[in-house]
Amino acid sequence: MLILGIESSTSQVGCAIGGHEGVLASAHSSRGKRHAESLTPQIEFVCKQARVELQEISIIAVDIGPGLYTGLRVGITSAISIAFGLNVPMIGVSSLDLVAYPIRHCQKLIVAAVDARRDEIFHANYRQVPGGIQRVSEPVVITPEDLSAELLASSDEVQLVGDGAIRYAGHFNDLKGVEPAEPGLAFPSASSLVQLAHAKALREDFIKPSELKPLYLRKPDALEIDKQKRRVDR
Amino acid sequence: MNKGLVLAIETSCDETAAAVVAEGKHVLSSVVSSQVDIHARYGGVVPEVASRAHVDLIIPVIAQTLIEAGIEHHDLDLIAATRGPGLIGSLLVGVSAAKSLALVWNKPFIGVNHLEGHLYSSFLEEPDLELPMVILLVSGGHTMLVSMDEHLTYKVLGQTLDDAAGEAYDKVARYLGLGYPGGPIIDKLAASGQAEIKFPRPMIAEGYNFSFSGLKTAVINYVRKNPDISDENVSASFQEAVVDVLVTKTIRAAKDQNAVGVCIGGGVAANSRLREAILEACPKEGLKPFIPSRSYCTDNAAMIGAAAWRRFKNEGASSLATGANPNLRIPE
Repeated sequence: MLILGIESSTSQVGCAIGGHEGVLASAHSSRGKRHAESLTPQIEFVCKQARVELQEISIIAVDIGPGLYTGLRVGITSAISIAFGLNVPMIGVSSLDLVAYPIRHCQKLIVAAVDARRDEIFHANYRQVPGGIQRVSEPVVITPEDLSAELLASSDEVQLVGDGAIRYAGHFNDLKGVEPAEPGLAFPSASSLVQLAHAKALREDFIKPSELKPLYLRKPDALEIDKQKRRVDR
Repeated sequence: MNKGLVLAIETSCDETAAAVVAEGKHVLSSVVSSQVDIHARYGGVVPEVASRAHVDLIIPVIAQTLIEAGIEHHDLDLIAATRGPGLIGSLLVGVSAAKSLALVWNKPFIGVNHLEGHLYSSFLEEPDLELPMVILLVSGGHTMLVSMDEHLTYKVLGQTLDDAAGEAYDKVARYLGLGYPGGPIIDKLAASGQAEIKFPRPMIAEGYNFSFSGLKTAVINYVRKNPDISDENVSASFQEAVVDVLVTKTIRAAKDQNAVGVCIGGGVAANSRLREAILEACPKEGLKPFIPSRSYCTDNAAMIGAAAWRRFKNEGASSLATGANPNLRIPE
């Protein structure tokens, strides 16, 4: 079993190859938002480093979001195209799962917070379970004020993780019982994606490229209609 | 056995399109999935809505076009996608899909200029068109006069200083409450109306540039003062003014450039009055007109395949590090 994982839901873009032996090779870059330019050469590079022909890949895993829309679409379009081209199944994993996963050994409530821009955060809560993590709340889009209020009202000790926690750090710095994870773990990683996808692959938790849907969490109307109206009025 | 098979992908605005074209001229299949119904309720293309729809449609459209062409992916010689100009979020879907398929199927990739695609749409049906020619490229996003002296060599003679012609159609239609997109609706109403109102012909006598903003304002102001005027007559009069300006300038440019012929391309080139007027005007001036089928005027991937093959033969493949450029121009 060889899994290619593609991850591009934040300002970072990355990919990794792995399987039963763990992660064989991975790459990521976080210089700006040029996901489309970086991703295809990165996939080529990672294949070479893993000494794997792309045609040997048997599963395509992809971060389905939530995250920054344009980056997300570059990753998802590339992933569904490769899966279609190779005629192999896919596994979709949420970006929130991916930022929570590296701190799975933490006993506290894991609060994943991915930057949603426009003063909002994509958020879900996780708990440690044997062998990994379990999501214990629905992914939502929330303001930093509301998230900090929820954390204040919670009786749990909290481990906060994700680039949303860094961008809006001012809202969380002084909260009692809330500890931010190290900045190095703020972004979803393609290596985590391959590891999580491997577990799902063992359960044959596959979907077809045509069934894979990005997790946007916001309707497009809300973003665009005001802009559109202004343009028409001009 | 077909040679020089190009899989071309076009997602620059609100059509998800793919085509298989042999040697840049024989269209084996051309699939266009229009999002027009999705955008109609917003009265225009909403970029985020368009980008999301492209992600949902891209693989089904590519799969369909390969089936219709009756070929397998190993028959392909080149994979192409529009890399600009257009909406950045939409463009990136096509570019990402094409580069990924090129990587997986081990084929060369080429990024194509959407405007060059429109310029090459005529060659799909008439591969031996004589040069030099003057091309009127007119759509919702562009209005320009281009002279093509030899293949892949262009000079932009003039372009719109404000609204594109198609944009003026959409805005007038929106003001009149006719719906979206405005071009086909106004075209249809105009057919049963009288062009009795003498709207201004902006800049008709000067140079090759266009300006349609003032004409749009004149139409709106006229309807404000004369609320009882029929939609048919306003449509016919507005359309006559637009077509008059477009055709007059195109013919003048073609004569000044000593062109052999005149081509049109872009969504507004599907307009029935414009097609008729070009066909009428050209022979009088000793020019050969060429009017592509309507399906090759509006956005499609076959034209991208035509331009892709020409470019590829001339300068080879693009890098897999190619991105999208929403502001791409011709010449680049």
